[in-house]
Amino acid sequence: MRIVVTGMGIVSPIGSSVDEFWNAAINGINGIGPIKSFDASNNRSRIAGEVKDFDPKSLLSNKQIEQTDRFTQLAVYAANQAIIDAGGLDHYEPRRRAVSLGSGMGGFATFESSAERRLKNRSIPPFTVPRTMANSAAAWIATIHELKGANLTCSTACSSGGNAIGMGLDMLRAGKADAVVTGGAEACVLPLTISGFEALYALSTGFNDNAQHASRPFAKGRDGFVMGEGAAILVLEKEDTAIRRGASIYAQLAGYGCACDAAHLVAPDIDGQVAAMTAAIQDAGITPDSIDYINAHATSTPLGDVIETKAIRQLFGKHAENIIISATKSMIGHTIGASAAIGSIAAIQSLRTGMVHPTINLEEADPECDLNYAPNTAFAKTLNTALCNAFGFGGNNVSLVFSKPNV
Amino acid sequence: MNTENIEAKVIEFIASKVEEVDASTITAESEFEALGLDSMDRVQLLFDAEETFGVTFKDDEVKSFHCVKDIIDYISNHQPVSSAKN
Repeated sequence: MRIVVTGMGIVSPIGSSVDEFWNAAINGINGIGPIKSFDASNNRSRIAGEVKDFDPKSLLSNKQIEQTDRFTQLAVYAANQAIIDAGGLDHYEPRRRAVSLGSGMGGFATFESSAERRLKNRSIPPFTVPRTMANSAAAWIATIHELKGANLTCSTACSSGGNAIGMGLDMLRAGKADAVVTGGAEACVLPLTISGFEALYALSTGFNDNAQHASRPFAKGRDGFVMGEGAAILVLEKEDTAIRRGASIYAQLAGYGCACDAAHLVAPDIDGQVAAMTAAIQDAGITPDSIDYINAHATSTPLGDVIETKAIRQLFGKHAENIIISATKSMIGHTIGASAAIGSIAAIQSLRTGMVHPTINLEEADPECDLNYAPNTAFAKTLNTALCNAFGFGGNNVSLVFSKPNV
Repeated sequence: MNTENIEAKVIEFIASKVEEVDASTITAESEFEALGLDSMDRVQLLFDAEETFGVTFKDDEVKSFHCVKDIIDYISNHQPVSSAKN
């Protein structure tokens, strides 16, 4: 059974539609800047990839805005686009329309603001819990679009969106749904969250006055990731019914693999990454030498980018040098639970257009990062099959394989 | 601020929160149910009223609130409205 992508939607620091995002990505537009959403002067990392000019009033009533966290608002915005792009889902019975969404932190903006109020003995918004819960975004998407089948949320930190898309694939293959709205959403450019990642020494702190150069996957001098926010949603359905209802098919979601390091909560592990990529490739029924492009996890941490490079080398051997790799995070920062969904849209757009977006800020690569990362300018190449990686705290490793519809 | 001003402010506030109802039809006697406010909506409304008028509603007292006048009376009796935020 072939599962295909028939709708896409996105809101990101470099664009709030697929076309806007993709045009910006191809041109290497940088979405990183000083944090605007709160006073970050007491933080060591004072930069982020924020979504600009997002007005929830464009899609939600005042009452709905009061009842939703920003991560839900971003998710709904991207889901609306994706469902419209798919031509609507009325072809399917409401109970056969499912949601599978990923978020690492859920409604943490609400959590942080309500916690601050409570600690000052002030009353807290009555919707604190339903806004904060990680499945809030999935529930709102279902409510707005009458998606009455399974409604799942996956929280595996930075790989949440990847796992969610994989769970959507599994649901369709198992016959438990006819259409799945899937992806990831995150909005945690927040004082406590930034401080938490700072405490782990995971964030870039050396580029506060030079924000545009801070997110620099695979480059010399990188010093950690830059927080980002956004959401990306795909509509998945079975190829035969998609054709029958006349849907546009953007790509096939051919494979999904996941593996846990079961070794360390936050340190990356080559074996786990190789296992996830291998499982996804096997699941797609192809061999490693079929992979033309990898949308890398590549967060710009000193260790992570080297480990991912080594994992790619270990799995693909000599073929690793033929693969074009790029890091979307170089332009938008790390959008945590949304990152794999955004990376999936980049991978699908690469298959559709024959263009790979660049990894920006890659004037000089780390000697240990020695593959072709499409440095600084877009790369044109006919591509048939792409891999999207996502690795998360908890030792989670996820890979997705997308291929052209006719491959 | 006198009671009439408080009433006008509270009705204006309620009108801004109840998008489905014609604002010109809202009076002090309007009941929450008639305004389409379910139990969660009422809790949200009172939370927003606390923020707007600088009062703190006591849980056991708001349980009996059923119309706009209950909010007007509470604010009149409990808080100098000079501290209201709008």
